[in-house]
Amino acid sequence: MFEIRTVRARVFLQVLLALLTIPFVLPLIQMVQGAFAGLGWYNFVVVWQTGVIPTFFANSIILSVAVIALVYIGSMTAAFAFAKLRIRGKEIYFWLMLVALTLPEVILLSPLFVTFTKLQLYNTLAAVILPLAALQMPFAILLARNYYDGIPFELVDAARIDGANLPRLFWYVMLPLTKPIASAIVVLTLINAWNSYLLPLVFLQDRANQVVTLLPQFFVGEFSNDQTKILAAALMAAVPTILAYILMQKNFERGLSAGALK
Amino acid sequence: MSSTVRRRRAEPAPTTKRHPVRGLNGLPWMLPAFVFVVGLIYYSVGYTVYISGLDWDGLSVKAKAVGLGNYTKMLGDPVFWASLEHTAVFWVVTFAVQTLLGFCLAAIMHSGAKLPTLHKVLIFIPTVLAPATMAPVFRLFFDHDGMLNQILTAIGLGGITQSWLANETTALPAVMLITIWQWTGLWFILYYAAMSQIEPELLEAARLDRAGNLRTLWYVVWPSCRGTTVSLAMLSFIGALKTFDVPYLVTTGGPYHSTEFLGTYIYRIGIRQAHIGYAAAISIVLLVLAVVGAIVIGRANRTQREN
Repeated sequence: MFEIRTVRARVFLQVLLALLTIPFVLPLIQMVQGAFAGLGWYNFVVVWQTGVIPTFFANSIILSVAVIALVYIGSMTAAFAFAKLRIRGKEIYFWLMLVALTLPEVILLSPLFVTFTKLQLYNTLAAVILPLAALQMPFAILLARNYYDGIPFELVDAARIDGANLPRLFWYVMLPLTKPIASAIVVLTLINAWNSYLLPLVFLQDRANQVVTLLPQFFVGEFSNDQTKILAAALMAAVPTILAYILMQKNFERGLSAGALK
Repeated sequence: MSSTVRRRRAEPAPTTKRHPVRGLNGLPWMLPAFVFVVGLIYYSVGYTVYISGLDWDGLSVKAKAVGLGNYTKMLGDPVFWASLEHTAVFWVVTFAVQTLLGFCLAAIMHSGAKLPTLHKVLIFIPTVLAPATMAPVFRLFFDHDGMLNQILTAIGLGGITQSWLANETTALPAVMLITIWQWTGLWFILYYAAMSQIEPELLEAARLDRAGNLRTLWYVVWPSCRGTTVSLAMLSFIGALKTFDVPYLVTTGGPYHSTEFLGTYIYRIGIRQAHIGYAAAISIVLLVLAVVGAIVIGRANRTQREN
């Protein structure tokens, strides 16, 4: 886009880019360095032998899949209704939903703590899944609605004239057309669910149902001041995320961008 | 990038057109999501309003009604005001630095720099990592014998080395640095996408006028990215209000509340000290701030759709 003509200017920009990039890598180097300090690979062996790593990962997977399923179903159907169907007072419903868009989750802590304790949901994955899905959904609906809006009404009419009822219209016409936005929603929800910390911190107390973001703290309790083990655990938690991103760069970038611009 | 998403949005939206086909009742399609979201969230908010009038620990049977007592208490609570101030400073600084860095990085990448994917990946990795995972790393990084001090010593600045997180004046900047580290990648990607959508004719015209690259950048490119900048200002405003993970895990709000945010303070009072009435009152203030933000975003979204 910009033409850089002189060699000197080009070299200058390349060096500047490198200098600007280095600070982003330093903490990652610190993480690897710290994780291998002292006993080297043995740090990972000790961390693995506690036996909690697979449990924490499995719980994170269950949590993410459940949140994604709820958000996907809820947002695709609701956005379809908002964009293409008739609802009395539609915009009021939509605004009521949008208000929830920016809600900081810390507000939910006290009421949900009291309620979940009464309902005996406290200390179960459901206590994290339900509020996380409710917090993600407004955003997903907003994204999906804007996308559905771009689909011409003629398609709806054509399908209706061919005798398709609403479920068939939704399933065979709408869902295939909205795949791009659906994949953005899935990735965005995955990142937010996988990385969520506050709700698991408050609502998951047993190590049997804790998730990956609670790993470092678990090891702070386990190894008190042994930094190397804690960093080894942090590194084990970080590697799958980094790999997933490198393998699906476009999806991650698109998902997070879609999340930012609304 | 988000070009497909955006192009869709740019089309004239037919939402306001009355649709002629009968019998398309959308209520059953919308209701499950609506009941779920509104049920859980509005229930919680309503409950919070109720709790904010109590002096209660959340578990015991007796709760004392104190009316607006928790709210008047807040007015005289220096930590509450400090949290608000930190949130404001945090918002302004992180937004300014991320915008500057993201914009410059995007411009450099658009100038034919080598190894663009490598640089992009390295800058974007922090965005996908959980702050909770990185927190112990940063505790070490800013520690007395952490990497930051090693680097400072290596470049001859050994005199200013210290435990950055244990110092009241440097703890908040450290928390902001972590946030900038995390989010600049997203800023960069969004500016990069915005720059890709600038009409080539505009840049060509600037070139014919013999405007240098820097002038073009300031007078043509920067104004063309205005939409992105406005979105990011809102995003970082909401982000500042939600800030919890980094200050809670890296500095636990300290030393002496110097990195206390509304989120960490509500957690400290409500969950740790079990004064859930007072925590609820602060939550309501936070909620009002966030809702005002939501209304502004909703407006922006609507005008965007109508244009």
